[in-house]
Amino acid sequence: MISRRALELATATLTGVFGAAVIASSIDNGIGWSTAGVDAGTFPFLTGVIVLVGSLWNLARGWLQNSQHVAVSASDLRRVIALFVPAVVFVAAIPLIGVYVASGCYMLGTLALLHRLSLQRSLLIATATPLALYLVFERMFQVSLPHGALGDVIGF
Amino acid sequence: MDNIESLLHGFTIAVTLPHLALMLIGVLLGILVGVLPGLGAPNGVSLLLPLTFGMQPVSAIILLSSMYWGALFGGSVTSILFNIPGEPSSVATTFDGYPMARDGRATTALATAFGSAAFGALVGVVLITFLASWVAQVALAFGPPEYFAVYFLAFASFVGMGGAPPIKTVVSLAAGFAIAAIGIDTVSGSVRLTMGIDELVKGVSFVVAVMGLFGIGELLLAAEEEFHAKAVSSAIDWREVFRTLLGLPRYGWALLRSAAIGCWMGITPGGPTAASFMSYGIAKRFSARKASFGRGEAEGIIAPETADHAAGTSALLPMLSLGIPGSATAAVMMGGLMIWGLNPGPMLFIEQKDFVWGLIASMYVGNIVAVVLVLLTVPIFAALMRIPFFITAPLIFIICTVGAYSVSNSYLDVLLMLGFGIVGYLFKKLSYPLAPLVLAIVIGDKAEDAFRQAMLMSKGSLAIFFSNALVATLVLAGIALLLLPLILQVMHVRMTRPVLD
Repeated sequence: MISRRALELATATLTGVFGAAVIASSIDNGIGWSTAGVDAGTFPFLTGVIVLVGSLWNLARGWLQNSQHVAVSASDLRRVIALFVPAVVFVAAIPLIGVYVASGCYMLGTLALLHRLSLQRSLLIATATPLALYLVFERMFQVSLPHGALGDVIGF
Repeated sequence: MDNIESLLHGFTIAVTLPHLALMLIGVLLGILVGVLPGLGAPNGVSLLLPLTFGMQPVSAIILLSSMYWGALFGGSVTSILFNIPGEPSSVATTFDGYPMARDGRATTALATAFGSAAFGALVGVVLITFLASWVAQVALAFGPPEYFAVYFLAFASFVGMGGAPPIKTVVSLAAGFAIAAIGIDTVSGSVRLTMGIDELVKGVSFVVAVMGLFGIGELLLAAEEEFHAKAVSSAIDWREVFRTLLGLPRYGWALLRSAAIGCWMGITPGGPTAASFMSYGIAKRFSARKASFGRGEAEGIIAPETADHAAGTSALLPMLSLGIPGSATAAVMMGGLMIWGLNPGPMLFIEQKDFVWGLIASMYVGNIVAVVLVLLTVPIFAALMRIPFFITAPLIFIICTVGAYSVSNSYLDVLLMLGFGIVGYLFKKLSYPLAPLVLAIVIGDKAEDAFRQAMLMSKGSLAIFFSNALVATLVLAGIALLLLPLILQVMHVRMTRPVLD
């Protein structure tokens, strides 16, 4: 269970860190006015300052907000994780086994293992997905999708 | 009547067999992304974008804009039949659309929605037909300070009128500008904000950002809500459709008012979502049948639908004539324009007449195609909604991943998309607005260039933004809009204080 307050604080911290990073990085580019005009870092620097100040404001508001309002309940969180974690595994697998194999495994895994769809149907969808991707991208629009290290090995 | 002549010429470009086919495909794909939760107009259009690189710009924009119309209509279908808004801008349609459909009047609800949506879109297109070239003409005289002032005004109006918490809007906007600055600085050639990641030199593509923010973010939200599609009957009774459409003029005043609200919010850029909510609120406040709102009142469907489509359509006006998109989807389309090698803004009306007027003419035709197609396909798309979410969700995820990758064949883009996905989820959850973020990513560079050129002209003095009446008015209006939330709050405190005492 995650409270609204915790989520507000986490998000404000996230944007605040981004703002600070932008400030630090744009100082390297030089800020202010020189003979060549406005220095390259000036505009990003200003946006970074606005992000940081706004984040601090949101952080303070989130801090003062004393509500125990639940933003994400335990069961909500379980469902989000059940979607997101396999998705991240899918993305992580792409450099190794390529989009086609990864997407097939991803579909098979989520449908058959996670959601207990019948093996027959899961297999059907898991083969149809990469096939459709291949036809649409590689064939129709000539966009090459990553074949992964596995593709290099088997020469695809 | 130059405009009429140009428009007729535009029709000769838009109404050709290949372009009509593109409209058909675009609208159908649009309805599809509009119906599917987790896929919306902005990321639907960005998914299609890489596939248009080899096309003629006018064909490409017809495809993308038709998809936008389709998505706007598709979003209303699910709102009415399933009580699930397929698009953020059709949330307000659920308030009265679903109750009416539940009472066994699904056809009436759908026909009311589509009829008023078509009216809203028509008003938007007529406005573009007569106003866009005039605005472009005025804008031809703009120099860098005027341009920066217009950008400033556009962004200030998000803060003042967008409806989201103002400081959150400001953070969202400024973060977008910072993201736009990542990569090589076009003026000095120096590398900015790459944080040590060499591949970021090419910058962060707005397509990747949109895919993550809208696509993945929305998917995570949809997973959390775990809706059960409990549909009402989706059979269409055609006689009832015509009866409803013929009865619409009775709501003439509501239609006109909602269209006006929509156009205003589309141009200024408040966006379709804010427009539909505002229109619903105003309709409810001034209606004689206030009590029946929320229980299937026709005016409660007309108001948000008309405003939604009027705003969606007229959002293309500032995009075409000033280079400032009025909504997130318009921002994506404008990004497309720049990729196709066009320069959005007043020069478009001089150098790319065929493109501009072909697009405007296609908007008339495309919306008619959309109304007819959406009515014909309601049962099919309603059946699609019955596919369980746990099957569509990973499919949508795969599509977004492949879409992000195909922008520039980069795996880093896929990782960035995941990151943007988490940000999108958090932002939506906590009502940080996403549209200003996307807009800032798309036009951040142009705004910065305008600012720096203006500074060069004035040798570093900010006084240039008050140097003539036009630029000063724009800047002051922007500042007023920025301060609007603050003023409203002070007034609110003043008014409530006696009660507290």
